[in-house]
Amino acid sequence: MMQTQKPHLIRLEVNYRGIFQKTLAYHISGDVVYAAHKEGKTAFSNGRYSDDPQRNGIPCANFAYFSKDLTEEDLEAEASASMDITEAEVVVVLDDTMVKGLEPWGGYGIRPINEKVVKDGVVLIVSNRKPADLIAQMEKKKFPYRIAILPGEASFAGLWYFKDDMTDVRVLGAIAKVAPEIASIDTVANYVASKYKSKEKAAAARKAYEEVKVSTVNAGEGIDWPYPKPILPGWKDFDEGVYVKGVKRGFQMGPRGQNRNPDFKRGTSKTQRPVVRFDLCTKCTLCWYDCPDEVFDPTTDGLYDVNYEYCTGCGRCAEVCPVEDCIVMVDELKFENQDSPYVLYKKDPENYVKWAEDKKGKERLMPSPVTGKGSTVSKVETPKPFKKGVVK
Amino acid sequence: MVVKQEEKSVFDREELMTGTDAVAEAVKLVDVDVFAAYPIRPYTGVMDRLARFIANGDLDAEYIVADGEHSQFEIGKHASSVGARAFVGSSGVGWLYAMESIGVTATDRLPLVALVGNRALDDPGAFGVEHNDALLVRDLGWLLCWASTAQEALDTTLIAYRVAEDPKVRMPAAVAMDGGYLTHSQHMVRVPTKEAVRDFLPTYDLGNRRMHPDNPVSIAPQVNEDWVMELRRQNYEAAKRSRKVITSAYEEYNSIFHSDYEDPFIEETNVEDADTVLVGMGSAAVVARSVANEMRREGKKVGFLKIRWYRPYPTDEIRKALSNVSNVGIIERNFAMGAPDDGAITMHDLQSALYDSKNHPRVVDFIAGLGGREISKKEVRKMFEMTADKKSPKVSWIGLRE
Repeated sequence: MMQTQKPHLIRLEVNYRGIFQKTLAYHISGDVVYAAHKEGKTAFSNGRYSDDPQRNGIPCANFAYFSKDLTEEDLEAEASASMDITEAEVVVVLDDTMVKGLEPWGGYGIRPINEKVVKDGVVLIVSNRKPADLIAQMEKKKFPYRIAILPGEASFAGLWYFKDDMTDVRVLGAIAKVAPEIASIDTVANYVASKYKSKEKAAAARKAYEEVKVSTVNAGEGIDWPYPKPILPGWKDFDEGVYVKGVKRGFQMGPRGQNRNPDFKRGTSKTQRPVVRFDLCTKCTLCWYDCPDEVFDPTTDGLYDVNYEYCTGCGRCAEVCPVEDCIVMVDELKFENQDSPYVLYKKDPENYVKWAEDKKGKERLMPSPVTGKGSTVSKVETPKPFKKGVVK
Repeated sequence: MVVKQEEKSVFDREELMTGTDAVAEAVKLVDVDVFAAYPIRPYTGVMDRLARFIANGDLDAEYIVADGEHSQFEIGKHASSVGARAFVGSSGVGWLYAMESIGVTATDRLPLVALVGNRALDDPGAFGVEHNDALLVRDLGWLLCWASTAQEALDTTLIAYRVAEDPKVRMPAAVAMDGGYLTHSQHMVRVPTKEAVRDFLPTYDLGNRRMHPDNPVSIAPQVNEDWVMELRRQNYEAAKRSRKVITSAYEEYNSIFHSDYEDPFIEETNVEDADTVLVGMGSAAVVARSVANEMRREGKKVGFLKIRWYRPYPTDEIRKALSNVSNVGIIERNFAMGAPDDGAITMHDLQSALYDSKNHPRVVDFIAGLGGREISKKEVRKMFEMTADKKSPKVSWIGLRE
């Protein structure tokens, strides 16, 4: 007898930042499996093996699978014979800056966060932004799907030296709202209460269930994805032996003057980017000298341009810059492109500075040198005025 | 999975675990004395979990991080020779780096248990599953088996100690599992109690050979080269004896832990009356079993045979199961460059096992899933169809990008 009906299957993807959110993501993908088990469903989870060891900031993914009617073995055969999945009913995003694209490895390309979501599926994002701001950076789809926003910052709570901000259970509560067929909020709250022996955590899950805001993303909403999809080579496309062509040595003064690896840019690792006040720069060279990813391009006038495509947002340049407010790390989601800041500056220095100060805002976030103490926010009431005539 | 009432006494709990978590849990349950470690994906998962056990005071063992896999396996070997129960493991090229030590652990007949988290032999920096790493020891005097699920990984590790340490055997044992598919996938696992494991696994006793101040012995001395052939024969007999020991170990395991390992060596899914059978090892078995069942429901006479123990090889079991089958296909997650018929490794063992049986089937070989490439349901179905088709070639590559 032929099987005609497709088996009941829900695929959940948890996108997270390597290292910083690894434990958090494992808690979520594991706990949601336990919760589904409580409702008698078949479920299991796995991590995307190729991400291991989930290096700093690299976009990584965990998966969980659920079914009402399949056995565990049939579910595994159906869902996870592959190490990455192509479709998901629920896409969880633990850091909203990942809506700008994902590039976990070389040769993978920069892929949209909503690439896998199916029709009427849901992208659940932990974010303090409005849905429209996020959709404006996501790829347009040919079908409608939902976007759900759980208010919150990208959490580091999975790291043992950070305080528990309950993001783990809050995401569980939100999943119960957007995909109750995985587990109901009562099941989730009861499971959380018994696992963590904490009424507060159960209450946090319930509160998140109420807080999460769901809206529809219509077909065609979003952007045309600017990055090409990678072409995977066939076995006759390689030369024999294991080698790839090196990046040809090349150096010219000026923006994008240095040859870099076109196949792995790593720019999607960043959650913030350095904004440079070229007018304040003393040309001390420290940013260029210290940058671990060599993203600063020297220019003929002694300033250093930033290549944001390769910048991983580590903040080292801002740390070593001796001039107050000259290099400041700013939330990556405030930017629409990777254009050269130096070119913008040269075109219209005064306007550039105005634009830069607008992006920087009035707050400066400084992580405490003592772990576990969080970060301090200082206010900048009056930005440093535009300094004329620096560039000769 | 529901834990039955009467099982409560032998099971401590059910927990969501990866394959490497499950092995680490087994290592804790057998109460190892020495754990030698050197990190490599996917083996690292075991190190992480065992480090946590020791830090939390759940396990009292020497945790020795070596300067490389060669030293790591030497540490395991030496610990084993002084009567300490030891655990080691590695993956891919790390396992190969330890090869000198791995070879002599076998000739010294020390019952070390190792995990091989199957991994491609690296270049180009790959760490997806291939079975060539573990298969390199198939002829060296190691017992060698594959686990397909996290539960099986836990069970098999316990059983491996029991078999390896049996005075009739005293050979090292390698438990292999597919990197990624099993090592990084979380499933519910029933964890036995310490007491029940103690009933199953006697204390490790190396007898007269145990190196100790009260029992001075010199292990593996360069005494007389003329002894070698006789020592090999001893090893050969032990390997033969291990079949019976494995059988009785599984019988007892089933009775204590209510598990249903019907045949320790092979696992049959609809093989009995099948015309066409696929044979495979490791995590591909999960997909293949599911497809075999699905195709049965469609009325096709297909079956799947999983090989669990590769050394000792289940010669009789394979002969019995496959003699009357018309077509056999083998899913190979390994390669053997320039081998007979240009087939991969396990085809040759399977064909020689069948050579002397009266009605041996037509055998075709499928090289699939190398470097962690997926073996999906669609591909398994294709392999079933190609196996049934008398016109298909002797060896085919499945899932290769042309």
